Amino acid sequence: MEEKVLVIDHQKCTGCRQCELVCSVFHTGSSNPSRSRIRVVKWEHEGIYLPMICNHCEEAYCVEVCPTKACHREPELNNRVVIDKNLCIGCKTCIISCPFGHPSFDTQERVTVKCDYCDGDPQCVAFCYAKAVFFMDADKIQMAKKREAANKFADLLKQARLK
Amino acid sequence: MNTESVHPITHVKHLKPQEHWGWIIAIYLYLAGMGAGSFVIGAILSWFVDPSSVVTIYGFPLNLAKGAILWGPILVAIGAPFLILDLGIKRRFLYACLNPRTSWVARGFLILSAFIVVGLVTLVISILPFQWLIEQITFRRVLEIISIILALATAIYTGILLKATKSIPLWNTHLLPLLFLVSALSTGSMAIILSTLGTGLISHDTGVLNVLISGEQILVGIEGIVLFLYLFRSYRTSEQGKDSVHLLLFGEKKLIFWGGIVLLGFIFPIILEGIASFFHGNVGLIFVAGLILLCGGFFLRLGVLSAGIREQIPMQRLIEIQYALRTMKTKEN
Repeated sequence: MEEKVLVIDHQKCTGCRQCELVCSVFHTGSSNPSRSRIRVVKWEHEGIYLPMICNHCEEAYCVEVCPTKACHREPELNNRVVIDKNLCIGCKTCIISCPFGHPSFDTQERVTVKCDYCDGDPQCVAFCYAKAVFFMDADKIQMAKKREAANKFADLLKQARLK
Repeated sequence: MNTESVHPITHVKHLKPQEHWGWIIAIYLYLAGMGAGSFVIGAILSWFVDPSSVVTIYGFPLNLAKGAILWGPILVAIGAPFLILDLGIKRRFLYACLNPRTSWVARGFLILSAFIVVGLVTLVISILPFQWLIEQITFRRVLEIISIILALATAIYTGILLKATKSIPLWNTHLLPLLFLVSALSTGSMAIILSTLGTGLISHDTGVLNVLISGEQILVGIEGIVLFLYLFRSYRTSEQGKDSVHLLLFGEKKLIFWGGIVLLGFIFPIILEGIASFFHGNVGLIFVAGLILLCGGFFLRLGVLSAGIREQIPMQRLIEIQYALRTMKTKEN
């Protein structure tokens, strides 16, 4: 089965926070960006906008530390890592252990929440007008990502050498 | 308009420490550690001293002297609900034992429950003055040894709980469980001294009290050394460990460190006990020194918890290079 992953091109992001809005509407029914799963971190002076998402890590710390198995992997659905709302006790161990700071505590539902790919149709991808978020096959993204990273590093090296 | 640009990453002097686990978890770690430590010290003490003072309550004779040195499990049982208090949905706390295969929170739930149950049974058996129970010496010794092992596991677990969250360099070290264990034993032995001090249970035997106090002082000394090694190691391992130690020693949390940990946990008790030793074990002074030392134990947990800074994300380096190049370009223009 083909596995899909979320990919961010932060250079395309304009920092409009539309993704936060649609994410919170989809998951909670309220347009409240503070309850969104995707977060755009901004440095306005520098023009750097970084949408932060869950990486659904291969070796996920959140799955490892969860005491209730609420945070688990679903291989049948794009190998995603999800938190079962009915099992979570809100101990926040996964929030502390995540190196990317992804899972967040929902103060209204009193449980920890995280990205679940919107059950296969990510809203952030559908509504991003700058097309900075992609949802694509994992095996296709490997090469594209590598090429992209190599290009970036090559550019940086060239520029650094010119200085 | 010429606004000065602020570096997104390196201009932030210290990254923010975690704020999800606060004083409630610190109280839990402290009570669990101190209770377990005092049980270890008390149980070993009871093998050598065997105090007994039978008090009749409602016509029922109880041997309360043993109770005064084996009351650790009660403290752990008081501390455990604080962990539940910190949960998002408190009534689901029983779910916390579902994943002992990988999760240390779940393992700790089991270790703590086992210690509370076995420890309380040991406590109750030692209080009850039944002759047939007193004669079962092997049974009682086995029970005591099992509960001592569980108590040690509880004290070490409080450190492993933090160590298991791998992304915070200040916590991710083997020295943290060791530090919490030594701190548990030092605060535990102080708790035993306090609970027996004014009651005349073992203080009539000044030799025992002196041994306890000098043992406690040695433990405080070891704790100081371990604390130094711990901070030194955290400072050396990674950038964020350095930030954490900096935050604790000179940053926002310096009051907790210098006031709470160093002054209350080490300097005051040592000075007061030194003075007390000149006055032939002045009860009042030792009492105050003990209370201050116990406060220091709490601040040690609070300090370690509140200074935990998460490790850098992998793409940080790339962003830093990009930023450096961008500023170079703007300067040229």
